[in-house]
Amino acid sequence: MAIQLSEIIKKWVPENSKVIDFGCGNGSLLDELIIDKNILGYGVEINDLKIAECIQKGVPVIKQDIDKGINEFISSNFDLSIMARSIQCLKNPDLALNEMLQISKRCVVTVPNLGYWRCRINLASGKMPVTPELPSSWYETENIHLCTIKDFEKLCLDKNIKVKDKIFINRRGTQSSLSLISPNLFAVEGVYLLEK
Amino acid sequence: MNLKTELLNFKEGITLESGERLDSFDLQIETYGEINKEGSNAILICHAFSGNHHAAGQSNDFGIGWWDQIIGPNKAIDTEKYFVVCCNNLGGCAGSTGPTSINPTTQKVYGKTFPIVSVDDWVNSQKMLMDRLNIDFWHLVAGGSLGGMQALQWSISYPEKVRKAGIFAAAAKSSTQNIAMNEVARESIRKDKNFYGGDYHEHNALPKNGIKTARMLGHITYLSEELMDMRFGRKFQDEASKVDESVNFEVENYLQYKGEKFSEFFDANSYILMTKAMDDYDAGKDKSLEEKLRDIKTEFLIIGFYSDWLYPPERGKEIQIAAMKNNIKSSFVVLDGEHGHDSFLFDSEPYSKLIKNFIES
Repeated sequence: MAIQLSEIIKKWVPENSKVIDFGCGNGSLLDELIIDKNILGYGVEINDLKIAECIQKGVPVIKQDIDKGINEFISSNFDLSIMARSIQCLKNPDLALNEMLQISKRCVVTVPNLGYWRCRINLASGKMPVTPELPSSWYETENIHLCTIKDFEKLCLDKNIKVKDKIFINRRGTQSSLSLISPNLFAVEGVYLLEK
Repeated sequence: MNLKTELLNFKEGITLESGERLDSFDLQIETYGEINKEGSNAILICHAFSGNHHAAGQSNDFGIGWWDQIIGPNKAIDTEKYFVVCCNNLGGCAGSTGPTSINPTTQKVYGKTFPIVSVDDWVNSQKMLMDRLNIDFWHLVAGGSLGGMQALQWSISYPEKVRKAGIFAAAAKSSTQNIAMNEVARESIRKDKNFYGGDYHEHNALPKNGIKTARMLGHITYLSEELMDMRFGRKFQDEASKVDESVNFEVENYLQYKGEKFSEFFDANSYILMTKAMDDYDAGKDKSLEEKLRDIKTEFLIIGFYSDWLYPPERGKEIQIAAMKNNIKSSFVVLDGEHGHDSFLFDSEPYSKLIKNFIES
C-alpha cells in the first residue's frame, strides 16, 4: 500500500480503537496502526501466503471470503472497519458496505476511479481501460465492480450513507488542486470516511 | 533433540471436577530441548483422545511420536529453541495413572472404578506438572482435537500462565454428532462379551473386539471422504495381504488392520473415560464461551481444516468470534489439509509456517 494512503487512513483512526480491515493483505496497514495508534486490529484475508505474513507480524487475522458475508462480525463492537482497494472485487459491494456500517459506526472505503481521464481515453479508443492503477486485462482482473467517483457517491446517497470526509488522490498518491476541483476526472482513487 | 522420558509422582493427589479424589497419581511425561536461562521458552503439548506423552522422536515402546512432523529440530515447534513438554493424560493407558493402574487403597486394578476425569482435570494436573518443573509460564500451549480443547481450557483456567494457545481442529464443545459417534464406539465396547461391565481384569479377559470396532468407526470419522476415495477407492485387497477371508475391499482391510493394532494396546475403560471427557467438555458451561473468555490475555491461533467433518472449521470460528468480542488477539485460519480431522497431525507448508510464525511473532 502506498505510504500516502495509509497516512490518510491513519488520520481517521482513533487512538486505542478496535479496527477490522477487510482484505488486509499482508497486514501492513494494521501493523502501522498497531504501532502508531495502539489499536486492537483484526484483518480479514483469503490468501494463505498473506495470512502467514500477518501472523508473522503478530497481526491477528481471520481467513474468510468476504463475499460469503461478514455479518458475524457485527457483535464484536468494532469502532472502525476498513476496506482498502477491495470493494470493487466483491460480488455485492453495496451489501458489504451496508454490513460494514453495522459492524462499526464508521468505515473507511477506498474506491478506484474508472472516471479517471486515462481510463476515459482508453474507453474512447474502444478498449477496456488498462492503467498503472488498474493494470489487469478485462479477462483476468479481480475488479468485477468498477465504478466512478460519481457512481460511488450516488450509491452512498441512495443508501443514506453519510460521507463524513473524503480525500481524492492523484497518480502520485497525493492531493492536487486538479483532483480536488474535478475528482471524477482527475482522481485515481477516492478515500472515504463513511457513517450510517 | 534431547528426548527425556520420566514418570513423576504427585503424592499430594488431586481433587477432580467430579469431587472425587485421587490421593496420589503419576504422570508419564516426555520433554524435548532445554529450558533457557530466563525460563521463557517452555511449550506444553496436549494430546488428543488416543495420544500419549510420546509426541516426537523415536521410542522403543511407542515408535515415532504422534506429532513428530511438527515437533523437532528446525520443525514448526523447534526443539533447538524451545523446551517442549508433553504428558500422558490422567486416565490414559500409556504410563500415567489410569484405569489400568493399581488403586493404592484396594491394591487392585482400578478398572471401572477409576473416577471420571475431565478436560479441566487434565489442565489442573498439567498445572501441577508445570509447578513441579519450575516453569513460570508457557510460551505456548498447543494441541489438536481434544488437545486443542485443553489448550483453550488452559487459557481459561490459568490465563496468566499462557502467552499463546494453539487450538487446532478443535471446538469449544463437542457437537451432538461427536457425542453420537462416541456413544456408538462405547456401545461396541460395552457389548463385547469380554467387557464384563468394565471388570475384565478380574476375569482375565480383554474386550478387544469392542475396542477394535470402536476404533474402526473412529478412523472413518478421522478421514475425509475425498481422502478415502483417493487412497482406497474401490480397489480390492490382494489375497496375500488380507487380514481375514471376509475382506474384499482395501478400505475394509485397512480398518480391520488399524482396529486390530489399536485393540492390542489401548485399554477399554480408558477409551470410555477419554471419550466421555471429550463429550462432556463445554468451555462455556454454566455461562457462555464469551463470558468465560473475559479478561484473557492469551493470544490464540485457531486452525481448522476444510476436509474435517468431525470438528469442522465452523467450530473453530465460534471460538474466534467469542475471542474477538473479548478483545483477545486471536487469529483463525482454515487450511486445505487433505487428511480430514487427522490433518492436524501432518506437516504441510502453510500449516507449519503458521505455527512457526505464531510462536515467533
